[in-house]
Amino acid sequence: MDWVDLVVIPIIKGALILFILLTATAYLTLFERKLIARFQVRLGPNRAGPFGLLQPLADAVKLFFKEEVVPGHVNKPVYLLAPMMAMVPAIALFAVVPLGPDLSLFGRRIPLHMGGDVNVALLYVLAIASVGTYGVMLAGWASNNNYSLLGAMRTSAQMISYELPMAIIVASLLLVTGTMSVVEIVEQPRPLWAWLWLWLGFPLYFITMLAESNRAPFDFPETENELIAGYQTEYGGFKFAVFYISEYLHMLTSSAVAVTLFFGGWRGPFVDQFPLLGPVYLALKTVAILFLYVWVRASIPRLRYDQLMSFGWKYLLPWSLLYLAVTAVLVVALS
Amino acid sequence: MSAEQVVQALTDVSYKPDGEGERRVVEMLRQQFPDAVLATEEFRGDQIVTVRADRWREIARFLRDDPDMRFNLLVDVTSYDRLKLNQRPRFVVVYQLHSIPYNRRLRVQVPADDDQNPTVPSVVPIWPTANWHEREVYDLMGIRFEGHPNLKRILMPPNWEGHPLRKDYPLGGEPVPFTVTWSNPEFEHLGRQILKPEFPPEEIPPGMDPERHIIVNMGPQHPSTHGVLRLIVELEGETIVRVEPDLGYLHSGFEKQAEHIRYKDFVYYTDRMDYTQAMNNNLGYVLAVEKLLGVEAPPRAQAIRVIMSELQRLAAHLLWLGTHSMDLGGVGLSLMMYAFREREAILDMFEMVCGARLTVSYIRIGGVWKDIPPAFERRLQEFLDYMPARIDEYERMLTDNPIWKKRTIGIGKLTADQAISLGLTGPMLRATGVAYDVRRVRPYCGYENYDFDVVTATDGDAYARYLVRIGEMRQSLRIIRQALAGLPEGPVQVPNPKVTPPPRERLDVSMEALIHHFKLWTEGITPPPGQVYHSIENQKGEYGIFIVSDGSNMPYRVHVRGPSFVNLQALNPMSRGHLIADLITNIGSIDIVLGEVDR
Repeated sequence: MDWVDLVVIPIIKGALILFILLTATAYLTLFERKLIARFQVRLGPNRAGPFGLLQPLADAVKLFFKEEVVPGHVNKPVYLLAPMMAMVPAIALFAVVPLGPDLSLFGRRIPLHMGGDVNVALLYVLAIASVGTYGVMLAGWASNNNYSLLGAMRTSAQMISYELPMAIIVASLLLVTGTMSVVEIVEQPRPLWAWLWLWLGFPLYFITMLAESNRAPFDFPETENELIAGYQTEYGGFKFAVFYISEYLHMLTSSAVAVTLFFGGWRGPFVDQFPLLGPVYLALKTVAILFLYVWVRASIPRLRYDQLMSFGWKYLLPWSLLYLAVTAVLVVALS
Repeated sequence: MSAEQVVQALTDVSYKPDGEGERRVVEMLRQQFPDAVLATEEFRGDQIVTVRADRWREIARFLRDDPDMRFNLLVDVTSYDRLKLNQRPRFVVVYQLHSIPYNRRLRVQVPADDDQNPTVPSVVPIWPTANWHEREVYDLMGIRFEGHPNLKRILMPPNWEGHPLRKDYPLGGEPVPFTVTWSNPEFEHLGRQILKPEFPPEEIPPGMDPERHIIVNMGPQHPSTHGVLRLIVELEGETIVRVEPDLGYLHSGFEKQAEHIRYKDFVYYTDRMDYTQAMNNNLGYVLAVEKLLGVEAPPRAQAIRVIMSELQRLAAHLLWLGTHSMDLGGVGLSLMMYAFREREAILDMFEMVCGARLTVSYIRIGGVWKDIPPAFERRLQEFLDYMPARIDEYERMLTDNPIWKKRTIGIGKLTADQAISLGLTGPMLRATGVAYDVRRVRPYCGYENYDFDVVTATDGDAYARYLVRIGEMRQSLRIIRQALAGLPEGPVQVPNPKVTPPPRERLDVSMEALIHHFKLWTEGITPPPGQVYHSIENQKGEYGIFIVSDGSNMPYRVHVRGPSFVNLQALNPMSRGHLIADLITNIGSIDIVLGEVDR
């Protein structure tokens, strides 16, 4: 371990991952718009560039060049802090996602993740995912607007309700794998029954993911039909863009985490021979989960806020507890 | 009566128009209140009774409660100013009553005694639906209603001066430079009545408690108020304590406008009130004028009118389905675009017959504008062939969807009793189990010859209204199929040169035709003096037109009974105690168009 390993490589890696992540997020918006357009017998954006490929760029340019308006009635420091508070955890979550097997470049061994090998990576995932709530809550509070406040209140209630089942399902995963290191979770061999059992639990996890990233049918914090734009009502221009990006980042990273935990992350055929295939597999699997996100949005009406809460506490929590219990029995019985 | 009997009696709807019974009602009123009934009149089959204002509350209670009367539905309240008719007293309030169990209609005129400060007793305690109607009359005509719980302006801004529908209200504000010049001193007063830019300070409606509850202002710019509706919502947490709608942001004075244009020219205005209902609104107005003239459109025109009316109903239901599912389900939900795809096909057909898609003005006095083009029938047949499967598709997405059911069942529940007393009509009323449909109750355009069901549901909640509207879409297809199969040949306009222009080729050969054409376009139609009310069933409920004619070529007074306006009154009782998300469900499920609410 010299200074190259400790400083230079992480910086390069971090910059690269950040660049890829933000670009992917931009194109995720296009992916969603195109896909949802096809679901709705429309064409979707197709004017900016071939197949609308420059659309994210056009959107970004438009939002960046908007006038920065800070309404007079807001609590300014908190108001400005909130978008950052929403964005940072969404990016930080990605740090533990292993992108592929270790690379050997210039005689150095380079792990393809920022910090997935720490022995508390799973806890890190849960903890950072919750921090995102603060951005939303601060935004709602600082805006000094009834709609924003209602949106923020909904979010905090929703996040608390859905983090619990999520944590319990992750705990079941922990029972099966026996490790908290995400890298080990991906790399360790797993018996067939464990795979099947984990996939059985995935729908539960997926529901908590939808709720956690505020996506339809759980997109309450910003229910445009009731609360205008919820917590974002008073935000415009670049600050709005930051919220928007962080929502999609959240989708992207949580999909990548789900792939890592449930579907073997970067693993796939021929990865051992060609390590660079790892990120490709990861990307493909992530896109498959993202497709699910959009599909659900196009076909399922939104729940009502109190129904979402009762669903969380009355159904999802008992189911996940049951899942945990059965997992424990299976682990003892079968291994 | 026991509770079951009451429900039975409420949902008991007679479909036989009882003209004889209406005459009997007038006779009984005369006997019961010999000193209060000032005059009775029959015009074009409508019974009109004039009663004294000081006895009106008593008569109203008799009309509602007497077992031989049972006028339980107050359809409309309006008024007119008789200043230029040279009659005294000047102001008259007009009530259109309907007895659902006996299918009788009655128009009651109540003259307000004092010309300077006209006052009439309020009938809100008897028919709660009169609340907004009376506020509208007060706002536009300046007649006070004694005993009204909240008599304030409803359509005009609170600081407006004067009452615009009065005949002596100064016109202007819009210069007419081609008839006079700006130097004319007559123009000095113009523009005075235009609203001053500084608005009065916003007041929280009386009874709301800003200390304990959150007061949220929804609209007039809000994504799901379906236009410029403003709601002042009092919330406890997310539970609604009270909703106070604030109307009038789209008020355009159509009724005042109608008094200054010729009869045929108002057809184009009706398109623009409820723009999702252009065909039906044309039809309602045109039928009222035809009733006033005493003419009837030829059979082919009648059948075409039925086809257009049902297509429009279908299109509006599709628009409702799309926007309602979007309100509840989020913008991502695909159903909206599916519904719009089919609506697009209907609008294409409208474009085929009249060149316009939204503001069609196709149905004209005496018939329709032109015959349908030859390709229309084939196009319509194709549409009829694939549409039932599409409706099945919508139902697959929603009817058994647990989330949809959770969002709509038990939301905005109304009983039949409440619905009738609030004056609701259309799917809102039918969802409570009352099979009241103007197409059946008072058939027009030969609806009595078509075989269709009046779709009802019993629960009176948002889900019931959804089921009723889906059912009505299927019934519309059924009616169109019958009308298309039995489409008669013949002319599409009344061959009466006083009503419709003579055919183009006649102008070259006939002097008389040329004169008729000239007179019709320069002078217009001149119906006899009198007053009529005619209503049709549009997609939202009973759409009625009340016309007073003074025998000239322009209406003396036109009043539109818009179902959106009346149905919107149910929002507060429907939403109280529910969550804010249900308020959106309720607005969508009432199905309003603000162009008609504000007129």
